[in-house]
Amino acid sequence: MVRSSLWSRAALHAVLMLLAVLFLAPLVYIVLNSFKAPDEIFQVPQTILPRTWTLENYGEVLGSGFRNYFRNSVVITVVGVALTAILSALAGYGFAKLPFRGSNFVLMAVVGTLTVPLVIFLVPMFIMENRVGILNTNLGLILPNVAVSLPFAILIMRASFISIPKEIAESATMDGAGVLRQWWSIMLPMARNGIVLVVVMTTYAIWGEYTLAKTLALDPPAMPLTVGLTLLKGEVWQYGVLAAIITLAVLPPILVFLFFQRHIVSGIAAGAVKG
Amino acid sequence: MTSFSTAVRGAKADHDVVAGEPAPASPGRRSRRPRRPRRRRNGLAGLLFVLPALVFVFAFMVYPLLSSGYMSLTEYNFVYDASPRFIGFDNYVAALQEDRFITSLTNTFTFGLFYFVIVMVSGLTIALLLFPKLKMSAFHRSAVFVPLVVPLSLAALIFLWILQPNYGLLNHLLGRVLGAESLTRAWLSDGTTAMAAIIVLALWASIGFVTILFLAGLQSISPDVLEAAEMDGARGLKKVFHIILPNLGETYVLTGTWAIIHALKVFVEPMVMTDGGPGTSTLVLYQHVYITAFTYFDMGYASAMGYILGLIIMVLVVANFFIGKRKREDAA
Repeated sequence: MVRSSLWSRAALHAVLMLLAVLFLAPLVYIVLNSFKAPDEIFQVPQTILPRTWTLENYGEVLGSGFRNYFRNSVVITVVGVALTAILSALAGYGFAKLPFRGSNFVLMAVVGTLTVPLVIFLVPMFIMENRVGILNTNLGLILPNVAVSLPFAILIMRASFISIPKEIAESATMDGAGVLRQWWSIMLPMARNGIVLVVVMTTYAIWGEYTLAKTLALDPPAMPLTVGLTLLKGEVWQYGVLAAIITLAVLPPILVFLFFQRHIVSGIAAGAVKG
Repeated sequence: MTSFSTAVRGAKADHDVVAGEPAPASPGRRSRRPRRPRRRRNGLAGLLFVLPALVFVFAFMVYPLLSSGYMSLTEYNFVYDASPRFIGFDNYVAALQEDRFITSLTNTFTFGLFYFVIVMVSGLTIALLLFPKLKMSAFHRSAVFVPLVVPLSLAALIFLWILQPNYGLLNHLLGRVLGAESLTRAWLSDGTTAMAAIIVLALWASIGFVTILFLAGLQSISPDVLEAAEMDGARGLKKVFHIILPNLGETYVLTGTWAIIHALKVFVEPMVMTDGGPGTSTLVLYQHVYITAFTYFDMGYASAMGYILGLIIMVLVVANFFIGKRKREDAA
């Protein structure tokens, strides 16, 4: 009895270890390659660990046009996430605590957009942005990214406001606080878990967004990392630098994930179940 | 009593925000009178809270949805035509007769079928493996979840490198480490292995998400049910098939819906890794729409194909919902 459970436990560990290797290998591979000198990258047979560790590739990232992609990604993500957080905190509160006529229908419509493939929106978006003159600008990517991020963010915020007991809002009303002040100074701090979740999830979504960027940022100076780097897929001579910049683009989100993991995982589950 | 006074104060408080609104007059049944004004006041405030977000959703989603619906009924080349010309359902008819459309649709379904089945089965399996709390389970979980936060187009670049025939990791492992030289090949130069590569990338990037959903489902099964089952002698696989799986109906519908949408929306993987090639062997519908719109600028035809894709997704999501519902009713 005990022995069989010991065996099965060992087998379970082995399987899980194998899975971990499969999932982590691509990332470890790219990180190791980023520390290899250019001639070592193309050596046959190749080495797994760099023979000589070098920071040459990282040095070249700093001096190259990659900086531009990086800056675009940072600007689009920071502004986009801030806007999404504010707008979804407002709307989530409206849907949760201040229902108006037809609010359920509006909420359903907003959530319904989650099932529509983005590609249907792209043509009108492109024509519209072309007319207004914000194609190839950071603003032209921030606005649609916010719109696309909002439905899920609103669901999360609505769920976290709904769980706040009614008595708290009522006592605040007795103190004579206006609706907006009530939202800002009493409700919002209580929904901070929701806000953290929205900020983290939207950061990943916008940082990794490809389709909108591919469509609306046609010139390299306007491109974020996700699209700009794919231009280099054939440029073999740049591979060491490419590995370095992929590492730089991928590590921050992973570190944030490891830090917030429990929060994120339970949030995805809760958001999905309630949605 | 209390509710009356708060209602009145609530109405007053709202006044600060929505100034200039005349005081509410609410005829109606006496018993409901105290509630009415509050709700309407809240209603206006609620609308104002929601409005800024709605402006975004309307401008970038609702309007484009309608606009592209109209455009799908027109002939409109963005470069040559000054304005769209109405042609009815011709674009839809033309799509069904176009070889490339049929090919891309078939490829989408091939991808979708393999992706859907594997992601559901392995997501559930991994969730079952991760469910017991073991030493190191935090590490194992992180390893499965980490790909979720890697931008997909960059993951595609990494896979491209791994699959590269001469200096890629996969051929190195197969040939030099395992000594199976005959298995090495140019993975992306053959239609079948290229499609397999795209499926593997999509799985790598998203199994963690499905696992999270299934783990949440497992957590929601009441411990009493599991305990009772163990008392009755249900263990191991028997427990899984007779107790756990039948209790996951709702989770299955939710996860299945997500997986269907995700499977049919495949785009980034073939776009970055194969450009739909070799030939058209990995060209998917989403990509065909994209290329028609932004390489050939045939906006009307592209919109029609986009709508067909949207329609297919909707039909499958609804079907999945009803199948799940019927199953749950059978089980009950």
